[in-house]
Amino acid sequence: MTRATDVGLAACATCELVVRTNGVGSCPRCGEPVRFRKRHATTRAWAFVSAAAILYIPANTLVMMRTEQFPQHREDTILSGIAYLWSEGAWSLAMLVFTASIVIPLVKLISLGVLLVTTGQHSAWHRQGRTMLYRVLEVAGHWSMLDVFVVALLTAVVQLGRFAKVEPGPAVLPFAGVVILTMLASSSFDPRAIWDRGDNE
Amino acid sequence: MHELVICSYCDTVHERVALPVRGAARCVTCDRPLYHANADLGAMLAVTITATFAFVVANLFPLITLTTNGLQTEATLWRAIAASYVQDLPAVAVSLAVTLIVAPLFELGLLLWVLVPLCLHTRPLGFTWVMRLMHVLRPWRMIEVFLLGVVVAVVKLSGLASAVPGWGLFGVAVMTLALAAVASFDRGAMWRRADDISNLQPVEDVG
Repeated sequence: MTRATDVGLAACATCELVVRTNGVGSCPRCGEPVRFRKRHATTRAWAFVSAAAILYIPANTLVMMRTEQFPQHREDTILSGIAYLWSEGAWSLAMLVFTASIVIPLVKLISLGVLLVTTGQHSAWHRQGRTMLYRVLEVAGHWSMLDVFVVALLTAVVQLGRFAKVEPGPAVLPFAGVVILTMLASSSFDPRAIWDRGDNE
Repeated sequence: MHELVICSYCDTVHERVALPVRGAARCVTCDRPLYHANADLGAMLAVTITATFAFVVANLFPLITLTTNGLQTEATLWRAIAASYVQDLPAVAVSLAVTLIVAPLFELGLLLWVLVPLCLHTRPLGFTWVMRLMHVLRPWRMIEVFLLGVVVAVVKLSGLASAVPGWGLFGVAVMTLALAAVASFDRGAMWRRADDISNLQPVEDVG
């Protein structure tokens, strides 16, 4: 295998034109700067992952949705909302929301941590598997936004005066924050770093 | 150097080869997708127009209609966004507006802006600028996640009152399928077509 960096080639990140470069300068076709690697990839990715990990706590402990259904009043966190769906017999839906809201954000945070640590050590451990993991993060990342959309829809539709009402809780903002920050973290990370060898190799 | 392709995941250099119809090339080192065979810009335009009509339907018609005790309410895309704003969550309203209205609107608008002239063999106005903007906005379009959100909301409401999915949901579903089809085309084809059009006139050697 020939690596582009070793032979002084790079693809423009915007238009994918392959150009001969020394790592500075811009793409002759679209004018964007052409670089061998994303800039400050590790630092930026760590910053976004840390911020997302902090927001993950309020996102899961605070109230996501308040439901008034006379004479009942419910306050649900993400997890208790899933448990409620489960107890109502909507198992497949409960599993779906559990995957999108709990599993994907947690797996994203852990995986990004693993990717950042292993690339920092120039590890040769399962390079192909780690590249696939990164690809999965890229594709699955935005599906966690599901619960934010559900709460927004229910708030809009359930406005039946004193009979029933749905309001978003304080967890909505940190929850959306976790999704956006993990998306920024994975787009900052440069997967080519997985294949870069250290000087000691 | 049109004949070369570099894998954006592992930096391996490949020579571009012709693919069978509907085929896709994968990287020899890391097995990630490299490029798609389908470079038919006319078909891409047709799918984009379908998605645009579906987007209009998704915006104009209710997603869910709820009836209980003689009271009836409707959830539209815009009301869902407005509701978050009214509930003192402007940041949430902004992220909903960006992911559900702004990003898909720009993606469709910019695709039409580029594809119509390219299919007529003229270079689109502001081509590189438009392509750059499209590249930046693409990850933030989440209409497909919203589709699942509407389904979850309908099921959650079924215990409360009679919740009926509306034509807006149909619009969102068609748009999701059409945008998935748009993504299965080789985006590089737009750049190559624009290059071919420009190369009809003799150009200076930049090398």
